[in-house]
Amino acid sequence: MAADGTRGWGPGGPYAERDITEGFDRLIAANRLFGAELNPSVLKKSGKGAPFLVRKPPPRHRMLALWQDLFEHRVAPGELLALLSIEVHGMAHGDGLLLFGRDRLLYDCQILQGGEAVGHLTLDFYRERDRIVPFLPFPTRPGHRVVFIEGISLTRQSTGYASALFRRYERLFHDLGFHLFRLKASLSVGKYYWAKEGFDCSDRKQFQEIRDRLWDLAWRLDLPVAEQEVRRLTHMSDVAAFRGDIKIPVWRDKEGYYTLERDAAHPEEFLFPLGKAFLLGSEPWDGHKVIYTDTPRRTALVWSDKYLSHGTPVGHPEGLKRLTALREAIRREGLLSSLIVTEPYLPGMEAVHAVHAPTYLEEFREAVARGDRYFATRDCAIGAGSYEAALLAAGGVMAGIDAVFSGRSDNAFCAVRPPGHHAGRATAMGFCFVNNVAVGAAYARSAYGVARVCILDWDAHHGNGTQDLFEEDPGTLFASLHEHPSFCYPGTGRRMDRGKGAGTGATLNVPLPPHAGDREMIDAFEREVVPAIEAFRPELILLSAGFDAHRDDPIADLECTEKAYVHMTRRVLEIADRHCGGRVVSVLEGGYRVDSFVASALAHIRTLQGREETPCSSAGG
Amino acid sequence: MFVGRRMKRDLVTVPPGASLSEAARLLKANRIHHLPVVEGRKLLGIVTDTDLRNATLRGAAGEVGGAPRTVEEVMTRDVVTLSPGDTIDDAMLVLCRQRFGALPVVDGDRLVGIVAKADVLAALLETLDIEGVGVRLEVILPRDMGEVTRLSATLRELPVEVRSLVLAPHGKDQYAAFVRVATIDASGVRDRLRGKKFDVAELSDFYEPG
Repeated sequence: MAADGTRGWGPGGPYAERDITEGFDRLIAANRLFGAELNPSVLKKSGKGAPFLVRKPPPRHRMLALWQDLFEHRVAPGELLALLSIEVHGMAHGDGLLLFGRDRLLYDCQILQGGEAVGHLTLDFYRERDRIVPFLPFPTRPGHRVVFIEGISLTRQSTGYASALFRRYERLFHDLGFHLFRLKASLSVGKYYWAKEGFDCSDRKQFQEIRDRLWDLAWRLDLPVAEQEVRRLTHMSDVAAFRGDIKIPVWRDKEGYYTLERDAAHPEEFLFPLGKAFLLGSEPWDGHKVIYTDTPRRTALVWSDKYLSHGTPVGHPEGLKRLTALREAIRREGLLSSLIVTEPYLPGMEAVHAVHAPTYLEEFREAVARGDRYFATRDCAIGAGSYEAALLAAGGVMAGIDAVFSGRSDNAFCAVRPPGHHAGRATAMGFCFVNNVAVGAAYARSAYGVARVCILDWDAHHGNGTQDLFEEDPGTLFASLHEHPSFCYPGTGRRMDRGKGAGTGATLNVPLPPHAGDREMIDAFEREVVPAIEAFRPELILLSAGFDAHRDDPIADLECTEKAYVHMTRRVLEIADRHCGGRVVSVLEGGYRVDSFVASALAHIRTLQGREETPCSSAGG
Repeated sequence: MFVGRRMKRDLVTVPPGASLSEAARLLKANRIHHLPVVEGRKLLGIVTDTDLRNATLRGAAGEVGGAPRTVEEVMTRDVVTLSPGDTIDDAMLVLCRQRFGALPVVDGDRLVGIVAKADVLAALLETLDIEGVGVRLEVILPRDMGEVTRLSATLRELPVEVRSLVLAPHGKDQYAAFVRVATIDASGVRDRLRGKKFDVAELSDFYEPG
């Protein structure tokens, strides 16, 4: 079949089987295609460049079947070799080989600079197998297509080569229909630049150590850095960008390696921003990077097992089953590998005091420490881990905001517990203790200078706590869709409540009658909420995303389905694209019937990632 | 509940000789619709924004005698009043049946307060605890205090705070009990009550979606 002429660079297929087989033959004749050991750990590299224990190519039909599975014949064998051998930064690939393992294809080459070998690269193309029954190894079905960087090494310092190469590759793998592009490598090659591109430390413990060392450095040099600022780093790319305003000296040797301590071998002094200097001067670490080639948006998932330590008695609707079931479903659906899993951190108390009275938090802490069964009201059951979990829930929203503002993700879903939108300055009620979105809004304001925050609350219950906290603030638009207060807890959120004082007009309450469904919800959303957000022009959108307006949820009387959540999520993203660079941080609130909650939350997360396939529902249509 | 406890005591009044424009200014500035006309503390009459409007219209139409100039000329002299010993029920009945907006409260002929429709509504809102946190449940009971006792005993067993409980007649031989509970898990409470064979009205019994 003819090449697609509209795209200058990229695969030209799909091709007929005959073309692929001919391609195999030509490469075999040119000594560019071989077989290889099936288990990659058996693949042996000799000391310098001579790569693999190669074998005779497998039979044609097996090669063809693997090619179909991996590439769907979108690319021809010779063409793939050519596309992979890209020259960037004056460095080219030589001796490129394709090696057929039983379930994977390998690309192996030398990296050349001016005809001289300066490094080595091995890529692995394979397809994950997903288990059909979660706890049994078999049967399986084909899963994500993955490109894995088996190894890359360079003998010569080459600033930015790896980043530039992988950026080009990412595009190519996207066009080839691959889902994931994974790297695992010692970051001695281009470590700072890789970190900047989103590398993460594969070993959490190692990352904690890196963070501790950064704090040690700040402490030793007596830099104006608060411990809280270091504590909130959850990702290597945050370390790279950390405190660009503070410059510290580093020393460089002849080969271009840096150190933080001056010695005879490192004579040349440079001033670099703190985070960059620290990474350049630290030991190599093991990292991995996941590049989401099939997701238009990178979505962070804020998650911690500590959210399960907020124990509520058996039969309490807000149980930890909600989160364990959601996590299990995310795994089962294969979403985990496409989400940027982000750990929350315990916020500094000043961040929480921006919203809650210190005496109130102290009473809450004491109630938990005393072993009380509930705090303030019978609804608000507590257990031993409740105080920490509640603070960590607020810290989860802060971590989500960090992810979005640092550019590590486009948007975020914070799977936190306990929920927060009923909690006021000094009141716990409706399963809520700390108002997570409110702490997040205050944090976005103080840490990132955001002036205009929109909080959209589509939990079936009115977010009375959030409204009380912001009703006099013209810089925070609080828009809430909920069941009418005459029929539903907490009995507030009437249409005429539009804010107070300077904040008049920055509160929007849209009550829905009992039994309202998708149509009513979407209509009200389009008619009232969308224009209000558009007019407000937010710089950040926070969602109080409760999923208890679902028709199967027992705690409210609305009759929505996943469709409404998909629709509203899509529209919010679209508005966010226009006004605030797509910055949406979604925070879990209610949703109490486990199966409908999980289905709704999954649809919401998929939509945040831009991969929900449900057709768009038009308003009123 | 007596009117004396609910009435507004800091009054805006005018003397009979005040000009119409002065009266209009007072109404507007205080966002009220009724001005008692007094001499000292003695109530002479009441003037409303409607009286002022009608007077202005009469003046514009060029009626005989020319446009009125003082409050005295336009006020209602035969005022329906309450006394502090009257009850909110009395106030409700008068306001509702005679369609007044506000009633002056007099002790003898001395003006001591005023009760407006909004004050009466506020009393009702408070009684039903409509602004407080909670959800309203509606339980239909046979007209039998034994059942009411059983309901309150059942509520006592539940892990919820009852914010208010109103018992209203419902048809000839039933009560409707309006219970306001401070819990987010209203459906849990509903289920428990139904488990004890109470007739908890569905929302649709009272509300029919259009």
